[in-house]
Amino acid sequence: MLPLPAAFYFPWEINIDLVKDGASVRTFGRLTSYVPEESKAVLSCQQSSAQCHVSVQTSLVEPFQPILGAQYFVLGEIEKTDGLGGVTLHARALTCVDGVDLALMQQAIVEQRRFFEEREKLMNVQAPRCESPHT
Amino acid sequence: MAVNDPGGADADAEEPPSMLWGLDPVFSAYSRLYITDILQMKESRQVPGVYFYKNHPFFQVDVLGTVVYKREREDFYCYGVDDSTGVINCLCWKDEKWRDQGEPTKCTSSTLRRDPSGSSRGFNIEDELKRLKEAERQSTELEIGDLLRIRGTVKTSRDAREIKATCFYKVSDPVMAVQISHMLEMPRLYRKCYDEPFQMPSDDLGGTEAGGSSHFHYLLSRSVLTLKEFLLEKEVAKFRPYDVEFLLHPLIQTSSAEQESDQHRTSLATQIRKLLKETLSVLQDEGQIFRKMRTQDEVYNVTEQDKDLHTAIKDILREDTKREKYAEKGCHVLHILSSMRQRYSQNLSREVLEVALTFLECKSDIISTTEAHYIVL
Repeated sequence: MLPLPAAFYFPWEINIDLVKDGASVRTFGRLTSYVPEESKAVLSCQQSSAQCHVSVQTSLVEPFQPILGAQYFVLGEIEKTDGLGGVTLHARALTCVDGVDLALMQQAIVEQRRFFEEREKLMNVQAPRCESPHT
Repeated sequence: MAVNDPGGADADAEEPPSMLWGLDPVFSAYSRLYITDILQMKESRQVPGVYFYKNHPFFQVDVLGTVVYKREREDFYCYGVDDSTGVINCLCWKDEKWRDQGEPTKCTSSTLRRDPSGSSRGFNIEDELKRLKEAERQSTELEIGDLLRIRGTVKTSRDAREIKATCFYKVSDPVMAVQISHMLEMPRLYRKCYDEPFQMPSDDLGGTEAGGSSHFHYLLSRSVLTLKEFLLEKEVAKFRPYDVEFLLHPLIQTSSAEQESDQHRTSLATQIRKLLKETLSVLQDEGQIFRKMRTQDEVYNVTEQDKDLHTAIKDILREDTKREKYAEKGCHVLHILSSMRQRYSQNLSREVLEVALTFLECKSDIISTTEAHYIVL
């Protein structure tokens, strides 16, 4: 009944294989284009020298007021279509967050990931110790 | 995220007795846990409705997340809240105020919106109150994509965890500042608080290392009290440690009466010696007892019973208040201390002197003229 949790991903991670088809994600980016007829928006983000784009299917969140050039926060499901290398994000929530401190947000995402990685590592260290009598 | 099992088997093994839950500070707080942990923490076998993360007992939580699901019922909303680690159902009761007059508020709100433009009438308290109520109502109605902060108790109904709200509201977070600071705060909270195991005070000596030390503190305070009572009751002026050692035997013995081996008896003796040493050092720090001379022979004088000490203090005061310098105000504590060190004992500490001065003042032998000046009668 409830949707799956949407973990934070950086926009440049959306297009790589790390994110599986159908996965729930949340990400952010600058709105660079919006085609209302097709309900298609594109969020862009500059990562070091490369420019990356995330195409967003907006039919579920319409109507919304598109502000080109503003930062948006989006939450939804990934759809990977074969060929063309197309990855579309079906948005369930889309909010304008222009003025967001991107550096601080990236730091927060990294901090949260590091916390869960450390925790997982700790679990894996503890688990084999419990099983050691069998080996 | 589902792979994590934060409660783990260790929580199952050592669920602390419910009597002690209240000693854990997180128990009475609204704890900021990740939703994944709220969904996975183990329910207590003793009291349903209480959950364990590690060995911390929880029953109320504070969650911040995006609304991803919404269902309206007659008297409550059901919101699915996603904090990026998990999604949980939240029951948010509608306020009776809105239910009774749901339609009228909407009507007035539309008239209110016109008001500010023609607000030549100035400040109208009724309108302001209505506007305030309208704002309050709006903050409890959320749409998908809105940010929700909810505090409430954790419940399990039909095998699903949910939060029953005691307080909830829509968070206005236009630049994500609240969410970012929440994300930064959570790992810190976990490291500092929730992931740190809670040390339950243990009653037996065979407890853990830390449990043992808290037990020792308990023993120490008991023995300090016992010794003080004994010295007062018997009006002891001087004693050696072995004179009072027997007072501590019942304390140690009652607490570890289970085992009776030779080895245990020797460890008992060392325990008593250690306890006595600590007790005497506490009493010395408080100024209740002191050693007049640092010799091999460990003799302790009891400050309140040492007549020589009292006489020496009174003599100093009597002589020095005759001098013009001290005539008006009396002698300062530090002056008395240095005179006493010359005349009575090099080892005299300020704490001892202050105990003695208070004692003499209670007996009306001396009077304090200011906080730190004394004269003799």
